[in-house]
Amino acid sequence: MTGISSLYTSLSGMQAQSKVLDLTGHNVANAATRGYHRQRAELQAVSGGTPGLFSGVNARNFGVNVISVTHSFDALFEARSVREEASRSATSLISSTLSQLQSAIPEPSDTGLASQLDAFWGAWSDVATQPDSLPVRTQLLANATSLTNSLHSTAASITALKDTAIGQMATLAGDVNGLAAQIATLNKAIMANPNASLDLIDQRAQIMTSLSKLTGAIYRPSQGGQIDVSIGGRSVVSGTQSFAVDGAGGTLRWASDNQAVAVTSGDAAALAATITDIVPRYTAALDGIAAALVSSVNTLHTAGYDQAGATGRQFFDPAAVTAATITLSVDVKNLPGNIAAGAPVLPGPVAPGPLDGEQARAIATLAEAMTGADSQYESLIANLAVETSVAAQRADLQDQVADTARQQADSVGAVSIDEEMANLTAAQRAFEASARVMTAVDDMLGFLIEHTGVVGR
Amino acid sequence: MRVTSSMMLASTLRDLNSSLGRLQKTQTQLSTGRRITKASDDPTGTANAMLIRKQLNRLDQRSRSLADAAGWLETADSKLTSGLEVLARAKEIAVRAANSGGLADGNARLAMATELRSIRADMLALSNSTYGTRSIFNGTATGATYSAAGAYLGNSAPVIRDIGPMNNLAVNITGPQVFGVAGGPVGDMFEVLERLATAVSGGNDAAIAAEHANLDNATQVMAAATVDIGSRAATLDGMRSRALDEDLRLRTELSGIEETDLASALITEKAQENSYQAALQVAAKILPPSLLDYLH
Repeated sequence: MTGISSLYTSLSGMQAQSKVLDLTGHNVANAATRGYHRQRAELQAVSGGTPGLFSGVNARNFGVNVISVTHSFDALFEARSVREEASRSATSLISSTLSQLQSAIPEPSDTGLASQLDAFWGAWSDVATQPDSLPVRTQLLANATSLTNSLHSTAASITALKDTAIGQMATLAGDVNGLAAQIATLNKAIMANPNASLDLIDQRAQIMTSLSKLTGAIYRPSQGGQIDVSIGGRSVVSGTQSFAVDGAGGTLRWASDNQAVAVTSGDAAALAATITDIVPRYTAALDGIAAALVSSVNTLHTAGYDQAGATGRQFFDPAAVTAATITLSVDVKNLPGNIAAGAPVLPGPVAPGPLDGEQARAIATLAEAMTGADSQYESLIANLAVETSVAAQRADLQDQVADTARQQADSVGAVSIDEEMANLTAAQRAFEASARVMTAVDDMLGFLIEHTGVVGR
Repeated sequence: MRVTSSMMLASTLRDLNSSLGRLQKTQTQLSTGRRITKASDDPTGTANAMLIRKQLNRLDQRSRSLADAAGWLETADSKLTSGLEVLARAKEIAVRAANSGGLADGNARLAMATELRSIRADMLALSNSTYGTRSIFNGTATGATYSAAGAYLGNSAPVIRDIGPMNNLAVNITGPQVFGVAGGPVGDMFEVLERLATAVSGGNDAAIAAEHANLDNATQVMAAATVDIGSRAATLDGMRSRALDEDLRLRTELSGIEETDLASALITEKAQENSYQAALQVAAKILPPSLLDYLH
């Protein structure tokens, strides 16, 4: 029987379509918002409970109800996307660190260490040709000084990378703590009203992505709409509580018990690799080159004779064998006459004449030594070049993988303007239709009220 | 798969970015003129380029050494050649003294002896020749080669120059090797000339004949030394021209590895530019429209 209740049926239709319109407006307004997942209203037809025994086809209908608002959030795709973003962060940071390292040791070049080494050996050869010439000896000392200065500045550049990474780790720890605290706060807010906090859930997902990019953190849903976040198997956010980390000194540690955080992905992993693997490895290689230079030149130099006929002089300071400390020894610094150019006359050994340059010639041939400073340097450059090139390719590849994962997640959750427009049109028409039904019912009731029981009036 | 406008925007941006990245790489190659701007661009190429640069630097250094060696050998060669000419004059005098058979004229004999002694002085001066600051006939000792009395003051050490990889050359020749060993029954050239002068002034025929023979031997020794120096100089010339060829070859190889092939880089750049512009046009056409434009 059409009655007042039919008005309420139409009303429910209009209200439901209003809600749909409202949601469509919300979606469209947030079409470009990062991390927003489109929301949909779930409508369900409402019937009137158990029909009476004899009601037959007069079972009551009460219209439509919005039973829930859901958002299109595919947990699998989102989790995968978060993981790939963390890897992307890590690989791109490693690639850029290696690029910086490579630009600290530029080759092939006319001004790099290789050409300085060549100039050094060339000066020895010149001294061998003219052992009595003061300008030639002075030139050798000048070339040696500029070689040691180059080694110092290269070592300093590499160490600076490590220092920068240590500073960045401290900043990262602060960021992690801030993000974890935000997630805990959002957990609390979402738990208060899990069904009506869709936007808060989106916000939390964004913060989770940022946290994962920094540390490779993963999350697990827990009760009441909360998430538990962990790094390396240990909890950093548990319900409404967050645990702090500390990044002083270049290692990420849990603030409560100073245990190291086991990061495997994200910026933190890249920084840790820089501090504990990349920089020490290349510093050691550079130090090896300096040590080889010092020992090979000194061994020959101490056996040689200088202009005054004295022997046993050191060319490089034997106590300073790292790339940062290598320097000329006090025996020859500013004393070009003390450079031992003459070779001992065997047997004896006795001093040769002051015009003998054979020891200098022997030192000049160190340039060709199979395990000497030059070939070690060539290996260093080759290894660095390959490592950098591989890291760059890895970063490119990971970029593509992360983009694909992002695309899959967006395919489910992103707003399509076309779709929203279609929904808008449908909702608008449905609203108008419900309004029209309401008008019709109103007319019919009005007719009933106005014209029934008024016979002959 | 559901496609949304944000996805299309993201993928368009990404693709434009990578296209621009490729264009930038080609542009860097063109503007620097080098294919390898950093080692990771081509690790094997870098390793080869470093080796070639090292060899070029060695060649530079060796060419200085070769020039010095050439100077030594040429100086020695010219001095010895002029020395031989002076000795020819001494032989003339010896022959005249022997043939005249006991010259009656004491003054003529005295004149010949004086000339012989002056030839001896010339040879002494020649023995003290220098190249730059170095005396070329006294090994690695300092100071004069021969004293005024004719004693050898130098040593027997060789002066060695690198003329090639694993290849070196002694560029000097010592006094005794040129002028003969002092002491003994014959002695060196200075002793022979002195004794010849005494024999001529004394008119001692037997002595003149003996010293004449000794003079011939001494001349042979000096001639042999000259030939030795000459052959070493010839070897050196060969090494020098080989070094020049090697330098040219290495530079060509280095340029092939390091430098941009302009023609192919320009064509690549044009193609990449075209594809970038096409991408931009397509993006402009497909990004803006949506259902909004068609609903009234």
